[in-house]
Amino acid sequence: MSAVREIEYRDALREAMSEEMRRDKRVFLLGEEVAEYNGAYKISRGMLEEFGARRVIDTPISESGFAGLAIGAAMMGLKPVVEFMSWSFSLVAADPILNNAPKMLYMSGGQFGCPVVFRGNDGAGGQLGSTHSWCVEGLFSNVPGIKIAIPSNPYDAKGLLKTAIRGSDPVFFLESERMLGNKGEVPEEEYLIPFGQAKVIRSGTDCTLASWGRPVHFCMEAAEEMQKLGISCEVIDLRTVRPLDIGTVVRSVKKTGACVVVDQSWSFGSPGSELASQVHRHCFDDLDNYVHRVHSADVPTPYATNLEQEYLPNARKIAEAVRSATYNL
Amino acid sequence: MPINVTMPRLSDTMEQGTVVKWYVKVGDKVASGQVIADIETDKATMEQAVFDEGIIAKLVCPEGKQVKVGDVIAVLAEDGESVSDAASASSAAPAPRGAVSAAPASNAAAAPNAATASSTAPVATRTIVADVHATDVTDGDRMRVSPLARRMASEMGVELSQVQGSGPGGRVVKRDVLLAAENRSAAVPATRGAQIAANELVAATPSMMPAAAASAGALVHGGQSIEVPVSNMRGIIAKRLVESKQQIPHYQVTMKFSMDAVLALRGSLNEQLASMEVKLSVNDFIVRACALAMAKNPFFNASWAGDRILLHQQVNVGVAIALPEEKGGGLVVGVVKDANLKSLRQISGEIRSLGEKARTKGLSMDEMSGATFTISNLGMFGVDNFTAIINPPNSAILACGAALEQPVVRNHQLVVGFEMAATLSLDHRVIDGAMASKYLQSLKQFVEGPTMLLV
Repeated sequence: MSAVREIEYRDALREAMSEEMRRDKRVFLLGEEVAEYNGAYKISRGMLEEFGARRVIDTPISESGFAGLAIGAAMMGLKPVVEFMSWSFSLVAADPILNNAPKMLYMSGGQFGCPVVFRGNDGAGGQLGSTHSWCVEGLFSNVPGIKIAIPSNPYDAKGLLKTAIRGSDPVFFLESERMLGNKGEVPEEEYLIPFGQAKVIRSGTDCTLASWGRPVHFCMEAAEEMQKLGISCEVIDLRTVRPLDIGTVVRSVKKTGACVVVDQSWSFGSPGSELASQVHRHCFDDLDNYVHRVHSADVPTPYATNLEQEYLPNARKIAEAVRSATYNL
Repeated sequence: MPINVTMPRLSDTMEQGTVVKWYVKVGDKVASGQVIADIETDKATMEQAVFDEGIIAKLVCPEGKQVKVGDVIAVLAEDGESVSDAASASSAAPAPRGAVSAAPASNAAAAPNAATASSTAPVATRTIVADVHATDVTDGDRMRVSPLARRMASEMGVELSQVQGSGPGGRVVKRDVLLAAENRSAAVPATRGAQIAANELVAATPSMMPAAAASAGALVHGGQSIEVPVSNMRGIIAKRLVESKQQIPHYQVTMKFSMDAVLALRGSLNEQLASMEVKLSVNDFIVRACALAMAKNPFFNASWAGDRILLHQQVNVGVAIALPEEKGGGLVVGVVKDANLKSLRQISGEIRSLGEKARTKGLSMDEMSGATFTISNLGMFGVDNFTAIINPPNSAILACGAALEQPVVRNHQLVVGFEMAATLSLDHRVIDGAMASKYLQSLKQFVEGPTMLLV
């Protein structure tokens, strides 16, 4: 066993793509600035050099065009990976990504699959303003036929992205600009992480914290704070919201009797509301309080730093929710 | 005209009540709906409101005194009426309106019944507003309990009405139930001495023993007992059946059924169905017969709901299933839904799979819930006849003995035939004796003319 190395989230993403491109000639990357500029966020650094311009393709600023192109390629047997500089920009490509990709297999009676991966930054990146700070999981998790992964760390990012590329369905892969520089242990040897398998990353007895993506880190901070008050939190990283590993959450809530769902998308009709609803259903007789939820505030994302911080889920808000859910306010 | 306020009936089982506290005094003006007293029943203490407006003329029942349901506890003077007149006019006796001056205290004792019996005379005696579900009420509001706390209380045998809630709005939460259970177990050693003394007094009549677990051990003097922990299921059986026996006015009606025809039909059907691995049991016939008889007798498919009776539109027959001892014993009720719409073969298949599942994996909530009538059959154990306890919220349960070969009289001849005795236990609030007999007659027609079960 080689020594465990630490790499950045962005490197983990690149390793996943490069390994899959070496393994399978059908895989290719396209998006704005992915080739010559080495990626707007340096995720695809060096990939043009290794794989050439036929497989690492710079596109015009035309999400609708290149998303549609990728879907066509996927239908015809290739395995495109599309980088959206931000998922906020995917909204102009709503028709291809929501109306074509997820429904293709169904509407063609099984004749055409659509094995395409769309990936990019999701959520508030830090003072990007209302229009560029979308948490698209709130919108897109509503659509059947899509798989959605929202990894919180480099290890999961690599394992899930490789699984996404090898799969035969459209996958929306939601990264975060705020986490690209995060370092984490990623082994040299190959591994895959299946979709729909949540991970208990901290065990506890009094309250279950369920989250995905960046807020998982806030949950861990809150859990640490709560420990000082003698409230033991179990933290679950869902990793994918479609499919949703409800079983792991239910097992935990049956043990703790309290649950806080943390989701950085807006609360109304969100993956968080869905998860809470399912927990209420499956754990009705096990709950000592209603499932509490921490979301971004129900307003457009503010620009000012202080307001943006207050708008997003954070450790303080999560801690308050835990104290309320466990009757320790 | 003075208005008498009487002790209300706050639960089906309530006979007497105690005014724990008066919130009003003589001379106070009260509005309709105003809380005037705390009343303690056998189950709970509840706030009581008045229907009428008026001025309190007299508090007849002192705090702490127990009086019968219907007895006058206070007198109200109506608007414009003198308080002292009202107080003296009523004296201690409730009286029908309009009869006060003519009817002095001498016939007062008979007055409450006369008042309620007479539909023509307007009645001054009013019943106080109360929710009939006394156990579920605190402060005139529904008791708030978290689902987890409710489940834990039920499992631990903690009486929720005795638990003080610490959550928002007085919600009883997990820690409150834990605390109550802890206090209870701490209290037991302290009171045990007193209980033993009490037990000695009643040792000759063990059936009068209180159900409290702590006192049971004292029954056996000098001998040793082995403690068997009570499983959840045993705890639930105990709780539900005690509730059923305490709350439902049970009575039993037995009838004997000639089983020759049904046994012959079963034999011939089973011969023909053997290749399909179908084997009908006598119980399958009884389930279908009961279901069809229920469809003809809607009050057998009913529940008592406090102030009304619910006639269910779906006929769901529950079948008691004993669980193997190695699995901890106990029993569950598997439910055949829409049993009146299913063939014998369907019923047989469902009961077989419910039985197997109950004995192996356990039944799901869905498979155990929704019964509107229950059958308990001990015939396969050679039992002649027995009685069963009603499975709430059912209104009846049928206890079936074995079909026994015995001398019977047929057409004035003593011959040998098969007979089965079946005993209905009934909720008299819903079903009277004549209705029970009629149901048994329907059942008899189906069992003794079993071809009717095939069509």
